[in-house]
Amino acid sequence: MTYIHKLDQQESKKKFPRKYVVLTVMGLFILTIIEIWASNTVSAYGEKYEKLAVLERNLKMENQILENEIAKNSSLTDIASKSAELGFSISQSIQYIR
Amino acid sequence: MRIFWIKSFFLISFACILTRLFYWQVVRADYLQAQAEGQHFTDTTVGALRGNIQFSDGAILASINPSFTVFGQPKLISNDKRVEIGYMLAKVLSEEEEKVDILAKDFINKISQDLYWVPLKKGISPGKKKEIESLNLEGIGFEGGNSRFYPEGSSSAHLLGFVGFDSKGGNKGYFGVEGFYDGELKGVSGLLRHEKDALGLPIMIGNFLTSNPRNGEDLVLNVDRSVQFIVEQSIRNNLEKYGAKAASAVVMDPKTGAIIALAAYPNYDPHKYSNFPKEFYKNPIVADQYEPGSTFKVLVMAAALNEDLIKPDTKCDICSGPISIGGFSIRTWNNKYYPDTTLKDVIIHSDNTGMVFVGQKLGIDKLYSYLENFGFGQPTDIDLQDEFSPDLRPKKDWREIDLTTASFGQGIAVTPIQMVRAVSAVANGGNLMEPQVVRQIKDEKNTFEIKPKIIRQVIKGSTAQMVKEMMVAAVEQGEARIFRPKGFKIAGKTGTAQIPVAGHYDSNKTIASFVGFAPADDPKFVILVRFDQPTSSIYGSETAAPTFFEIAKQLFNYYKIAPTE
Repeated sequence: MTYIHKLDQQESKKKFPRKYVVLTVMGLFILTIIEIWASNTVSAYGEKYEKLAVLERNLKMENQILENEIAKNSSLTDIASKSAELGFSISQSIQYIR
Repeated sequence: MRIFWIKSFFLISFACILTRLFYWQVVRADYLQAQAEGQHFTDTTVGALRGNIQFSDGAILASINPSFTVFGQPKLISNDKRVEIGYMLAKVLSEEEEKVDILAKDFINKISQDLYWVPLKKGISPGKKKEIESLNLEGIGFEGGNSRFYPEGSSSAHLLGFVGFDSKGGNKGYFGVEGFYDGELKGVSGLLRHEKDALGLPIMIGNFLTSNPRNGEDLVLNVDRSVQFIVEQSIRNNLEKYGAKAASAVVMDPKTGAIIALAAYPNYDPHKYSNFPKEFYKNPIVADQYEPGSTFKVLVMAAALNEDLIKPDTKCDICSGPISIGGFSIRTWNNKYYPDTTLKDVIIHSDNTGMVFVGQKLGIDKLYSYLENFGFGQPTDIDLQDEFSPDLRPKKDWREIDLTTASFGQGIAVTPIQMVRAVSAVANGGNLMEPQVVRQIKDEKNTFEIKPKIIRQVIKGSTAQMVKEMMVAAVEQGEARIFRPKGFKIAGKTGTAQIPVAGHYDSNKTIASFVGFAPADDPKFVILVRFDQPTSSIYGSETAAPTFFEIAKQLFNYYKIAPTE
């Protein structure tokens, strides 16, 4: 009985590594291929990323310039000078309705 | 023997290689590591944007404006092109045609230095940058940044302060709100670090390290831009009209201590602050000391009324002529005397002898204690950087003549903000408030509200009411009555204080002022108007009072307050 049991154990030890080793090697190989493919694919994206970053900066800058332009055109200093040009003046006599 | 030499050769060679490796790997390790990282990584500082400053309605008072620093790289510029480049740059960047030569020489001087990098001009606009770029100048580049933008120009300059540079060349706020809230406004810069390829472009699957910048917080002021505009226009026009050396005004909400407007002339443009004399940077409302003159009488009267030492109808028994105290003769401003006048009439006529009577009733101890309680001799803690408070003379040094002169506002120094705050206590029923310029501090997520702060109750509500009625009578029956807008109940008091010059008072040089509030029954605003050395008339009743009424009239329209009488 003891002898047969020993033989069984030796057989199972031989089968286990071969299957998993092959699978692991295959997996690593596939991952390596994927990494190479991904690296190749995104390597050109650095330039695109940089362009987008510059575009973002420029758009933000333009937005800020436009916001400032709006603030300037709606400032009381500006409105007062424009209204004076148009002939508006401070009302001198006000009628209060009771 | 041959084998020995071969062995020795290899041994020495290995020793050399080991030594060199030791040098690189151990001795120069940090330096080489840094160099390698420098080749692999790009570090970009992402500057924090300075917070905006807004009026109470959210309109922009100060924001940021994209700007650039134009720099030169002298090593990249050939000698024969320096003059040409200097002049081309100067033509674009000079603000005045006459200054092109001076600016060009400055640029030529800078790009002729033995340096790799030299800044040529800061704060240039994107438009100017494009113009320079189109010239294709060798060795000239740009560095991005931000400068301050003021849509209202030089409006509110003394409130705002300005943004200058610190010792490291970074932005730093000076004076006013910019200086007081510099920590909140400037934010914290961030860092972007990424791996780069041979062309300097980022490697997308490389290491990225980002620390985001925290932009500065926005400030929302209590300042109402319409009121500010009204006050600035009035002060500027009347400064010229009355031929004064300087003029200032402050408008405060007596119930909350909120500063609704603050203006002073001469002022400066915060965008081009360096073009103005440094004396202009100081905000006279919070940093100028002056003798308040007769405007101070209402506070001394309030103190005596609050102590129940007098009543408005108490008769003055020393008011029939000049009073002699400590070798000095105390007279009224127009040398007119009213025997047995009531104390209400003392305020109406701005009678110095009547105030001497009140001062004597009060005594040094009580007057001094009220001066401290009204907040004189200590800063008001207004949220503006340059506040200054003149000290009160120690009580032990006070003599009878000091008590006498202080009772009508001479021989004592105050700041306009202290004065307007003290009168606000009369207007609001007796509470001394902390003056506040900023109402809210906002970041991207939260808003911090600054609540009104009562410092202490100085006088009883009933006392405030009595003083208020005296001030209303002063407006309706006093020297400035012809200027007041009809139908409105306004409380106020004129002041004409002589200026001490080299140990004596110059009778032709005065500070003319008017302090008051309206509508008297439910005050919406307290205003202090002050002219420094007006020449058309030296009196507050003929300069500051009309200006006060002019502003008040416009504010009645703005706040939709109808006349009651």
